[in-house]
Amino acid sequence: MRPLDPVSSTQRAAYGLAFFVLFVAVWALATFGGYVSKTFLANPLTMLREGWDLLTKYGFLFDIGMTIWRVLGGFVLAAIIAVPIGVVMGAYKPIEALLEPFVSFARYLPASAFIPLLILWAGIGELQKLLIIFIGSVFQIILMVTVSVGNTRRDLVEAAYTLGASDRGIIGRVLLPSSAPEIAEILRLVLGWAWTYVIVAELIGSSSGIGHMITDSQALLNTGQIIFGIIVIGLIGLVSDFLFKAFNGWLFPWRLA
Amino acid sequence: MTSLKIEQVSRIFPARKGSPPTRALEPIDLQVGNNDFVTILGPSGCGKSTLLRIIAGLDRPTSGRVLLDGNEVTGPGADRGMVFQSYTLFPWLTVRDNIAFGLRERGFSEAERGSVADRYIAQIGLTGFENHWPKQLSGGMQQRTAIARALANDPKILLLDEPFGALDNQTRVLMQEMLLGIWERDQKTVLFVTHDIEEAIFLGSRVLVMSARPGRIKADIKVELPHPRSYKIKTAPEFVQLKERLVEEIRSEALKVVAEA
Repeated sequence: MRPLDPVSSTQRAAYGLAFFVLFVAVWALATFGGYVSKTFLANPLTMLREGWDLLTKYGFLFDIGMTIWRVLGGFVLAAIIAVPIGVVMGAYKPIEALLEPFVSFARYLPASAFIPLLILWAGIGELQKLLIIFIGSVFQIILMVTVSVGNTRRDLVEAAYTLGASDRGIIGRVLLPSSAPEIAEILRLVLGWAWTYVIVAELIGSSSGIGHMITDSQALLNTGQIIFGIIVIGLIGLVSDFLFKAFNGWLFPWRLA
Repeated sequence: MTSLKIEQVSRIFPARKGSPPTRALEPIDLQVGNNDFVTILGPSGCGKSTLLRIIAGLDRPTSGRVLLDGNEVTGPGADRGMVFQSYTLFPWLTVRDNIAFGLRERGFSEAERGSVADRYIAQIGLTGFENHWPKQLSGGMQQRTAIARALANDPKILLLDEPFGALDNQTRVLMQEMLLGIWERDQKTVLFVTHDIEEAIFLGSRVLVMSARPGRIKADIKVELPHPRSYKIKTAPEFVQLKERLVEEIRSEALKVVAEA
């Protein structure tokens, strides 16, 4: 092992998997070995059995579907509104000067603290859940997209001007394509955060979703179900991250060339 | 017919915290005729790039004005093509789309863009690389593409800001020959900024020597070497004589810069 020495892709996969195995092994040792009481932590086999019951008897697949739809709904809504605002702010400095301080302030408002207000305003239906994810994501995306667009290489912009580009041409055919890969990365990052918000939203005032299942299991002290729910969230996150990465690579082949 | 007139153009960069304003360019007068290949030679920091950027419209003069065919330059435009020292190909476009970028911005049809791009790809010897991304090209190939991209717009004047400055010596010589070949064939008004004396003589029909900061034109020398020129001309007695003279001119300016520092 030497600094910055690359690893082969098979090695990379093997190492990545090895840590998961180690993790489960430590967990199994702690629970089966009797070092941790059953009340506090279920063992891996109990977790799997509880998970199977959840899927087959309690319609957990529906909960998973609800959660995914909420995350995607709130996230897509936020992206549709935030990306154009971010691009315009990045391109036009007066607009950035106008909005940036407020967005920076709003970014620090914790989305979960809005839950009581949102229940008051929007009830405990789907709209309230979407709004929490929306509030949690939209300001982050605006701010990061603004920075990315604002950091476009000046010499590329100048080159485009000397080739006869108009201001609209600069935005559409220089600023956007140049920061598009970074915008995609930003969305991938924020989607990860959106997953945290959705669970918080479902813990309070909800009748479906992974978060709701987790609160129910808490009442029954069923740690196996709770852990199964958490692992499902992790797996979905892992898969969506992978899909996002693959999609970005396919969308921007010039970066990998 | 293209005529470029520079009238009393000066540039002063405003003062920054703790440092006085910088006089980059003294008022400069200059007239460039049709199809001239003018090389602007000077030590680093003499304002030669600033002058070129003002002509391109990327920078504004503090005083004076630039006239292209009688029209005052107020901003960048497609009538003045520019090639930069840094690699400025659009990384998300292939060689072909990079060359066609200007035509696309100006609303040419896809068929027209394609035929112009293909012609220039052949001219700069990049056939077979049309669909490569800039990342996959060597520095020399990228600059060739950048030259083709500027020429594809058929500008009235081509501005080059040390385009071969980052290339190794062998590549640079080949690029000089290629550029000169294009100019000899197509005839175009060219302004070429460099700090390389041989390059200035080999390419130019006229060499302007600029003084150290604040920049002004110190000498305006016609290069009477015949065309077409090949690299062999660099050992001809006239070439060597001219080079000796320019070495002296530049050396005295470089010494001033060193003394100031």
